[in-house]
Amino acid sequence: MTGAWSDPVAWAALAPLFALAGALLVGLFGRRWPEPLPGVVASLAIAAAFVVAAVAAVGLLGRDAGVALTLWPFLPVAGLDVSVGVVVDPLAATFLLIITGVGLLIHVYSIDYMRDDDGNARYFALLNLFVASMLVLVLADSLVLLFVGWEGVGVCSYLLIGFWYRQRANADAGRKAFIVNRIGDAGFLLASFLVAATFGTLTIADANAQAGSFAFGAGVLTAIGLLFLLAAAGKSAQLPLHVWLPDAMAGPTPVSALIHAATMVTAGVYLVARLSPLYAQAPAASAAVAWVGALTALIAAVAALAQTDIKRILAYSTVSQLGFMFAAVGAGAYAAAVFHVFTHAFFKGLLFLAAGSVIHALHGEQDVRRMGGLGRRMRLTGSSALVGTLAIAGVPLLSGFFSKEAILGGVWNSTLVEDYGSRLLFALLLVTAGLTAFYMFRWYHRVFCGESRLARDVAAKVHESPGTMTAPLVVLAALAAVAGYLGLPAFAFPNWIKSWLAPSLASVGALHPPLWVEWLLVAASVVAAAAGLAAGWWIYERGRGALAERVGGGVMGRFARDGLGFDAAYRAGAVSTAEGLAAGLAVADRDLLDRGIAAGVTTASWLGRAVAAWQSGFVRLYALATLIGLTALAVVVAALGGRA
Amino acid sequence: MATFTVLAVVMVVGALGVVLLRQPVHAALALVGTLLALAVTYVTLEAHFLAAIQVIVYAGAIMVLFLFVLMLLNVQRSIGPQRSLPGLRWAAYATAVVLATAVALVAFWDGRPAPDPAVVSLHLQGGSAAGIADVLFGELLLAFHLVGVLLLTGVVGAVALVQRHDGSAHGAPKAGGPLPAPEGPVGSGRGRKRGALAGGRRS
Amino acid sequence: MTVPTEAYVALSAALFAIGAMGVLIRRSAILVFLSVELMLNAGNLALVAYARHWAGFDALAGLSGQTVVFIVLAVAAAEVAVGLGILVAIFRDRSSTDVDALSGVRL
Repeated sequence: MTGAWSDPVAWAALAPLFALAGALLVGLFGRRWPEPLPGVVASLAIAAAFVVAAVAAVGLLGRDAGVALTLWPFLPVAGLDVSVGVVVDPLAATFLLIITGVGLLIHVYSIDYMRDDDGNARYFALLNLFVASMLVLVLADSLVLLFVGWEGVGVCSYLLIGFWYRQRANADAGRKAFIVNRIGDAGFLLASFLVAATFGTLTIADANAQAGSFAFGAGVLTAIGLLFLLAAAGKSAQLPLHVWLPDAMAGPTPVSALIHAATMVTAGVYLVARLSPLYAQAPAASAAVAWVGALTALIAAVAALAQTDIKRILAYSTVSQLGFMFAAVGAGAYAAAVFHVFTHAFFKGLLFLAAGSVIHALHGEQDVRRMGGLGRRMRLTGSSALVGTLAIAGVPLLSGFFSKEAILGGVWNSTLVEDYGSRLLFALLLVTAGLTAFYMFRWYHRVFCGESRLARDVAAKVHESPGTMTAPLVVLAALAAVAGYLGLPAFAFPNWIKSWLAPSLASVGALHPPLWVEWLLVAASVVAAAAGLAAGWWIYERGRGALAERVGGGVMGRFARDGLGFDAAYRAGAVSTAEGLAAGLAVADRDLLDRGIAAGVTTASWLGRAVAAWQSGFVRLYALATLIGLTALAVVVAALGGRA
Repeated sequence: MATFTVLAVVMVVGALGVVLLRQPVHAALALVGTLLALAVTYVTLEAHFLAAIQVIVYAGAIMVLFLFVLMLLNVQRSIGPQRSLPGLRWAAYATAVVLATAVALVAFWDGRPAPDPAVVSLHLQGGSAAGIADVLFGELLLAFHLVGVLLLTGVVGAVALVQRHDGSAHGAPKAGGPLPAPEGPVGSGRGRKRGALAGGRRS
Repeated sequence: MTVPTEAYVALSAALFAIGAMGVLIRRSAILVFLSVELMLNAGNLALVAYARHWAGFDALAGLSGQTVVFIVLAVAAAEVAVGLGILVAIFRDRSSTDVDALSGVRL
C-alpha cells in the first residue's frame, strides 16, 4: 500500500477527503465566522481537491492504464469480499476535473451570491459535502462505495433544493426530488444484487471483466442493464423520472448550476459509461437506454419552449441534453457521451450562473416576461451568456458543436443499436437539436435583447454583478468556446478525448460509412442549429414574439408549460393514491385503534370496578367469600369420590 | 336410632331457631336447647364426661354470658330485612345447602367399616374422666399447658378491654356494681364487665 | 343397631351449614357470634362421632378425640369471653352492633 501512495495519480483519492474536511470545518464552526470566511474556506478545500485531481490527470497522460487502490476491507463476507477502494483512470480523472474545476468556480461565485444569507455557513458546508459525495461516487471501485456516493449526492441535493426551507414550496420540491430519486435507487440496489449473484463480486472492474464471458445479449445482462437504467434515469432525470428537475430550481442558482447541470445529474451517464463492457454485451438494454434518452431529449425540448421562468427553461434544457448523453451511451458511443458531459458542464454551468447573475441584479425576478434588454446594462453577463447560448445551440467551432456532432455521428453509425432503430434515433436527436437552438435563442433574446419589460423599481437598480460572480462566467465562457477542440470529429481529425478515454470504456465497433456521409451528418446538424436560430430570430426579433405569445397562451402551450402532463399524471396516479391511503389509515387509526384502545380501557376499568366490589369493606361479604371457598373445596373433594 | 332421630330433629330445629328467630334472646335460648340436645348426643356416643362438661361450661356458663351481654346491651329485635347486599341471603342459603350436601356425601362415600361396639366400649370406657385425664396429662400435656396460657391471655385481654383511657378500671361515679361473676369450672375464665354496666361511657 | 358414624357427620354438616348461614344473614354482631358458637359445636359433634368410630380400631384414638373436644371447649369459652368483651367495647363506642355499619375493614 505504501508503494502505491508514492504514485501521484493515487493522490486523487485525497480529493474527497479535502472536500469532506471543508464540509466538517464549515459545518461545525462556520456559523460563528464572519461573512466571507465560510465561502473562502470551502473554496480552498475544493481548490485543494482540484489540484490533486489535476496532478492525477497529468500523471495519467502517458499511461495506458489507471491506478486501482484498495484502502481498507469493508464487508468480508464469504463469497463476496467488498473493500473500500478507488480507481483512478481516465474516465474518473475526467469527471474529477469537471467536478472540482466547475465546483471551484461555482464556490467562488457563491461567495457573493449567498452573501448576507442566514444560512451562509450551512450552504457552503452542504456544497462541500456534495462535492465530497460526488467524488466518492466517481472514484469508487465497487458498487457498494459508488452507492454511498450516490446516496450522498441525493441527500445533499435534497438539502440544497430545500435550502430556503421556510417556504413550503421549496421543501416540497426537495422532497419530490428525493422521492423520485428513491425509485431509481431501488433499481440500483436490485441491479447490485443481481450483479453479486451473477458475477460473485461487487467490484466494478471484476464484473466488467466477467461480462465478456457471457453470451451476447444474455438475459441476465439485459436485466442488470435495465435495472441500472432505472437508477440512472432517476438520478439523471430521464423519462419517466424527470419530473423532479424542473422543480429543483427552487434551490439557489449556484446549486442548480453545480448539482443539476454539471455534476450530480451526470452520475447516471457515468454509471452507464463505467459499466460499458456490460452494456456492450446487452444490446437490448443499451437500446432501451438510447430510446429513453432520445425521447426524453425531444419531450424536454418541447416543454422548454413553453416555460416562462428563466431557470426552468434551463432545467428542461438540461433534461434534454442529458437525453442526448443517454442516447450516446445507449448507442455505444461512450466517449462521445462523456465528451458531451464535459462540454455541457461548461456551457450549462455558464448559463445557470448567468441566470443567477440576472436574478441577483433584478433582486429575485425570475420571469422572463418581465425581463429584456439586459444585455445593454450587464455587458459581461450578457456576452458570456451569448457564448453559452451559441455553444449549446451547436454553432460550429464552439464546444457544443463538436460534442453534439460526436453524439449524432455515434448514433448514426452505431452497431450496438443498429437493429433497434438507430436511424430513427438520429432523426429524433436532430429535430431536438433544432429545437434546442430555437428555445435557447428565445431564452437569450427574452432576457438580454429587445425592449425592456422590467418593472419600474427594478429597472432603476439593475447593475452588473460583482467580480467574484462575473469572473467565473468569463472562465466558463472561455472553456465553453475552446473545449471542443479536444474532440474533433474522429472520422477526419485527431480526436484526443476519445483516445484519452479509451482504456476506461468498452470499445464497440462502429460503422464506417464513406467520408461524404460523415460530412453530410455534420452539415445536417449545422443546418438544424441554423434553422432553430433563424426561426427564433424571425419570431422574436422580427415579430416581437407575437406569434409565440398566441401559441404559448393556447392549450398546447399550457400543456407544454406544465411539463406535458407528466406531473399531472403522477399526481393523479401515485400521489392521490398515497394521499388516499394515508387518509384512510388516519381514519382507521382514529376510529379503529383509538376507539379500540378506549374500549380496552373501559373494559379494564369495568373489570376493576367489578373486582373492587369484593373489597367493599362489608365484613359479611368477606365471610360469604370465605364460605364459598370452603364449599368449593368440599365439592371438589366430593367430586373426587371422597378421597382427596 | 330413634334416639338419634329425635335428638337430630331437636338440634336442627334449635339451630334454625338461632338463625331465624327475630328476638335475640329467643335465639340464644334456642341455642341453649341445641346445646343440651348435643350433650345428650354425646352420651349416646359414649362420651359421658364430655356431656357433663358441655352442659356445665357451654350451656351453663357461656350461654349465660351471652344472655348477660344481650340484656346489658339491650339489643332490640333484629333490624329488618337487609337493605344492603340484596343477593346475600340467597347466596348464603345456596352455599350452605351445597356445603352440607357435599360434606355429607363425602362422609357417606368414604365407606369405612363400622366399628365393633364392644371394642369401642372397651377402649372408651364410657369416656370417663379418668380416661380423659390420662390422655390430657399424658399425650396431650403440651396442649393442656397451651390452653392454660390461652386462658390466661383471655383473662388479661378481657381485663384490658374494660380499661378506660384514664387507666381506671372502675366506672367513676357509679362505683361498684354486681358482684363479680363466680369463677367457672376448670378452664373457663372471664373478665370483669363492670365498665359495661355504666353503659355509654367511652372506654 | 348402632347409629352409623356417617349420620352424625351429616348432622354435624347440617348444623355447621346452618351456623354459616346465620353468620351471613344476621345483622347484629352478637347474633353472628351466636352462630359462630353453633358452628363450633357442630365441629365438636363430628369430632366426638369420629372418636367413637376410631375407638373401634385403636386403643388411644377414641380418648384422644374426646380430649381434643375438651380442649376445644376450653378455647371456645376463652374466645367467647374476649369476643363479647370486644363487642361491648364497640357498642360503648358506637351505640350500635349493626355489622354493616361496623364494616370499617377495607383492604
